[in-house]
Amino acid sequence: MNDLALAAYQTRYSLVGFLRNPRAFVFTIIMPLFLLVILCTIFHGLTSFAGTKAAAMYYTPAIVSYAMMLAGFNSLTQSVVADREAGLLKRFRGTPMPSWIYLAAEIARTIAVVICTVVVLVLVAVIFYKLKIAADTVAGLVVYTVIGTAVMCSLGLAVTRVCSTIDEAAVVGVFATLILAFISGVFVPETLLPAWLRDIGRVFPLEHLAQGLRMTFSVRASSGITGEDIGILALWGIVGIVIAIRTFQWQPVGGR
Amino acid sequence: MQSVIEVRDLHKSYGDVERLHGISFNVYAGQIFGFIGTNGAGKTTTVEILEGYRPRTSGKVSVLGTDPAQAGRAWRNRIGLVLQESELDPVYTVRETVGMFARYFKAPTSIDRTISAAGLSDKADERIGRLSGGQKRRVDVALGLVGDPEVLFLDEPTTGLDPAARREMWTMIEGLRDSGKTVFLTTHYMDEAQHLSDHIVVLREGSIAAQGSPDELSRQLGTTSVVSFVLPSGVTPAQLGTAIGASMVVEAGLVRFRTDAVQRDLTTLLGWAQRERLELLNLQVTQPSLDDVFVELAQSPHDIGRDGGSMPGE
Repeated sequence: MNDLALAAYQTRYSLVGFLRNPRAFVFTIIMPLFLLVILCTIFHGLTSFAGTKAAAMYYTPAIVSYAMMLAGFNSLTQSVVADREAGLLKRFRGTPMPSWIYLAAEIARTIAVVICTVVVLVLVAVIFYKLKIAADTVAGLVVYTVIGTAVMCSLGLAVTRVCSTIDEAAVVGVFATLILAFISGVFVPETLLPAWLRDIGRVFPLEHLAQGLRMTFSVRASSGITGEDIGILALWGIVGIVIAIRTFQWQPVGGR
Repeated sequence: MQSVIEVRDLHKSYGDVERLHGISFNVYAGQIFGFIGTNGAGKTTTVEILEGYRPRTSGKVSVLGTDPAQAGRAWRNRIGLVLQESELDPVYTVRETVGMFARYFKAPTSIDRTISAAGLSDKADERIGRLSGGQKRRVDVALGLVGDPEVLFLDEPTTGLDPAARREMWTMIEGLRDSGKTVFLTTHYMDEAQHLSDHIVVLREGSIAAQGSPDELSRQLGTTSVVSFVLPSGVTPAQLGTAIGASMVVEAGLVRFRTDAVQRDLTTLLGWAQRERLELLNLQVTQPSLDDVFVELAQSPHDIGRDGGSMPGE
């Protein structure tokens, strides 16, 4: 079996495991879907919402960006830390399988999960909340999905070293996603935030992902791609990769 | 005999602390090699050096003709690992897990045959999370075997298992003998090493305390006999000690002493009892089991080979 076929098989295996793990499945796919439905339902009647024409137009890109962070940052970190602490990574290292195949499969699984989640979220918004999608929106959505998932995966792998148990990984993930979601305009429109809080939010990647996606969805005839958003996202992605390469551990770190 | 693993003067230090003080041994093709020691003796350190997980400080190590520290994928195709304290993802079935690992190897053996060799045929489609501890451990062994390795490292395969599961594991390991595979068995149970191994190395505090076949070890270490009898009424242990010239232990009315010259000491004892007109009830002479010897070997390094002293098994 050549390595690419093996990577594909490992990805499928990883995806099966993901679907059988209720925690991963609920917190990565079901929760963003519920959040979108609840937020769109609450603000449904409004004819203008935070600079957009409808709540769905605001919240669909916001929750899409949040879903990318849940899958790439939370879920990936937890699954890698769980595998490492169970001694599975050590076991894999003891087989002829090249190590990159495990990481490639974890990332590929995350990409598959993100794509499914994004498709479901957008479809629900289009069908139930009258969201309109143009060709430019699709182009922007594809670009931001690729970049956003890559950045979140690289940051997820970067923090695995500081999490010595799956519980710690859950704490880091939930804390980071929830706080960033509030200061990045995911749950609460940025226009309502005090300027200093908005400035803090703008340091982090989620704000730029949410912002870029929002432009994609709300500005007519535009993919919403701006140099600033892409640049800051890329910077975070590179920082994540460098930290991950330097600190990644295959042996259990301890904590049991 | 062809040597599959060669270790010469292996040293390993962590910082300033040396954990392995220059150990040497050979493992030959087709052998079940028992590597035994208490926790902290340096077993895991040695095994992980052989498995290529840890670098060594100095010495020569060769596994299948290759230095594990330099070994690559081709070498990994020829060895199987059953690690200590390694869990599997509970959401997959036995067949899925063994099937996934089979794909990591160049020339895996049949998945069904591996599962059946592990005695898991009726659990093949059960999720790992639903298996008992003994069954999980047998999945571990199946994963070590599925690549059809020449050398299998079995790190404490029965630790934490109940007696029945332990016996089943033993049967499975004995089955490996016929397959011609070389098995490097790490354990802290002497009875396990004795039961399964062709050759045993006893590690103590980073050095080899004894080695040989189970019979050789028994002969080498088991020359000591234990004499025991009921303490006759009206006799104090001190009087006995003076009479026999060996140090006695009295426990619940039972006298025991250890001797390397059982005939001489028994003659003295019986002569003394005859003169004193005492009946020695329940008089017994026993050989300590290899297990007793091991406990003694592992725990009291300064008493080895010395006459008298502490009782085995205490």
